[in-house]
Amino acid sequence: MKPVLVVGGGIAGIQASLDLADRGIRVHLVEKSPSIGGVMAQLDKTFPTMDCSICILAPKMIECFRHPNITIHTQSELVSLEGTVGDFSVKVLQHPRSVDAQKCTGCGLCSERCPVKRPSVFQACLGQRKAIYLAFPQAVPLIATIDRDACLWFTQGICRTCETVCSANAVEYEQKENTIELNVSSIILATGFEQYNPKDIGEYGYGHYRNVLTALEFERLVCASGPTGGVLTRPSDGKVAHNIAFIQCVGSRTQTTGYPYCSASCCMYATKEAVLIKEHEPSSHVTIHYMDLRIFGKGFQEFVDRAQSNWGVRYVRGRPGEITEDPASKDLTIHYEDTEVGKVEKNTVELVILCTAAVPNSDNNKLGGILGVKLDEYGFFSTKDPISSPVETSRQGIYVCGSCHGPRDIPESVAEASATAAKAAEDEARLEVKG
Amino acid sequence: MKVAFYPGCTVQADQIGYEASVRNTMPKLGVELIDVEGASCCGYPPFSSVNEAAWYYSSARNMALAERMGLPILILCNGCHLSFTETKHFLANNPIIKAKIDEKLSIEGLTYVGDVELIHVFDLFHNKLGEEKIKQAVTKPLTGFKFGAHPGCHAIRPNKLIRPDDSENPIKLDELIQWLGAETMDYPGKIDCCGSSLAPASGKTVMEIAGDKLRMVKALGLDGLVTTCPFCFKVYDNRQRAIQSTVGASVEFPVFYYTQLLGLAMEVKPDFLGLDLNQSPVDSVLARIGGS
Repeated sequence: MKPVLVVGGGIAGIQASLDLADRGIRVHLVEKSPSIGGVMAQLDKTFPTMDCSICILAPKMIECFRHPNITIHTQSELVSLEGTVGDFSVKVLQHPRSVDAQKCTGCGLCSERCPVKRPSVFQACLGQRKAIYLAFPQAVPLIATIDRDACLWFTQGICRTCETVCSANAVEYEQKENTIELNVSSIILATGFEQYNPKDIGEYGYGHYRNVLTALEFERLVCASGPTGGVLTRPSDGKVAHNIAFIQCVGSRTQTTGYPYCSASCCMYATKEAVLIKEHEPSSHVTIHYMDLRIFGKGFQEFVDRAQSNWGVRYVRGRPGEITEDPASKDLTIHYEDTEVGKVEKNTVELVILCTAAVPNSDNNKLGGILGVKLDEYGFFSTKDPISSPVETSRQGIYVCGSCHGPRDIPESVAEASATAAKAAEDEARLEVKG
Repeated sequence: MKVAFYPGCTVQADQIGYEASVRNTMPKLGVELIDVEGASCCGYPPFSSVNEAAWYYSSARNMALAERMGLPILILCNGCHLSFTETKHFLANNPIIKAKIDEKLSIEGLTYVGDVELIHVFDLFHNKLGEEKIKQAVTKPLTGFKFGAHPGCHAIRPNKLIRPDDSENPIKLDELIQWLGAETMDYPGKIDCCGSSLAPASGKTVMEIAGDKLRMVKALGLDGLVTTCPFCFKVYDNRQRAIQSTVGASVEFPVFYYTQLLGLAMEVKPDFLGLDLNQSPVDSVLARIGGS
């Protein structure tokens, strides 16, 4: 039996890999960052159950790592593809980690001693990491990696502190890029999404007003493993914010700046984050400025109802027109029309969270070209037929799951991942019959 | 640098202080102002509700005059600048209307090609002259002052047409003021409308809108409000007493044209900058700058 290639190590890629591996099919899981986990690893809680996100994800990540049928290739990308379903030849480029994966114990002493600081992508750039670092505490594989653009040895030819302090002798500056060739029967794409950068929507002042954050940044701020240890200190003055507002559909559902589609999960995650604020401090004021509440999933309506009645989260219908900042206090005033009463109002708060659109991964174009699969008008992977073949791409033997073919929440991504695993297993079975 | 100079009706009819400050500062910065002979009204966009073609004709006529001079045209008023920009954009995409306008222009022997460069005051100072040149011209920096910039709607909107500055976070006027040695503050409502376009419909609304801004900048303890648009200035400076009686609060606050501050920093005498025509209380600022 030939292995299956899974591209992308977020929750969808992990689920697809595990499903296949449990059926006895070997899997190569290719991930471009130093750890699998994806965006779900950055989230504090999940909706609508308010379960700890990493507590659900980490066991699956570990299972991936320990499963005899799964080989994880981190810091790797797909560079070429030939062949047809049942007999794909792919080349995978592995970028050097500069650390020996067999020797590193993940103790973190190297990062502690490293003198170079860089914004941490995992902490949504609200916190810092070192030039040699572990992606996050639960990273899989738990192996340090060197950011060669930041490391003093690679940029200036000095330092080598990490090599000195590493008792496992794991640091290997001389590691080189490596290309491996794989022969696989089918390919599952699970490359996920990116966050829309709301800088383009000038009226909300993101990047200009320090107390305007995106929802993913807030997710790190409210998380116990985040840069503030879960204390809601706002960026401008470190004051704990008790009056917070969310703005929905930032860059989504718009005909002007952004994308016309709905980002699918924002109404629910905003509600989740609002409840988190209330759980932290029940006397806090939380407002969600929304256009429509799109809460159609299982248990979603009940969750929003509870947020309103039990926690006192205020929902205001109307797309805010502008945010202004008080020059002294740095408090923010949202100008909006409450369309339920037809009145123009103001809401002054300490922190504003923008629920930004989920947008196509910027690598999709390149990857789509390599794989010969079609993208839709926005740059998401397109599927053969939205009704009868919702996880099949334009090329036979290549499947998609999760938010790389449109915004999705976690439950839907997981369900689709299992669907692609079933499709890939079907290809295997067909191959067996043919002999 | 030679430019065709188009002050516009409002400036020539009742904002002569602005014109004076421009005529007495720009030549010192190497900008030669050549008046557009036979210039008329820019067309004034609200006029389009009566006769759209007449608006395009008026705008195109002035641009044709500048084209005949072979010079870029410097426009002092935000409204005129937008009027020309809109006409230029419209005629470039509507050959049938353009043919009609061409026909009317030919009566005077004018032709409108549509390649004239339109220079806004921000463009001139910020892009063409630049930081170094302005800083060099400053002999008496306005150190210790903190002003609020009011770019005005038409300088920044609509963002679908090319405007001199960003529609949501305009910074050019702030930087121009900073180059004179003063500070600026990014105050809330900086990009709000002055209200003047509403004057024919509801004078009271204009006063309320303008009053909001004046009270805001006053409360923030700024030293003055600075603009380059004659319409905005007319409201903020000339109408302070009317605003006061409408909103029932004191809104007395110094308001300047940018070129007046520029002149002061270049040690041009206040009389030559039309400062005696400012109706807002600018005397305290002048006294602090001194040398008058």
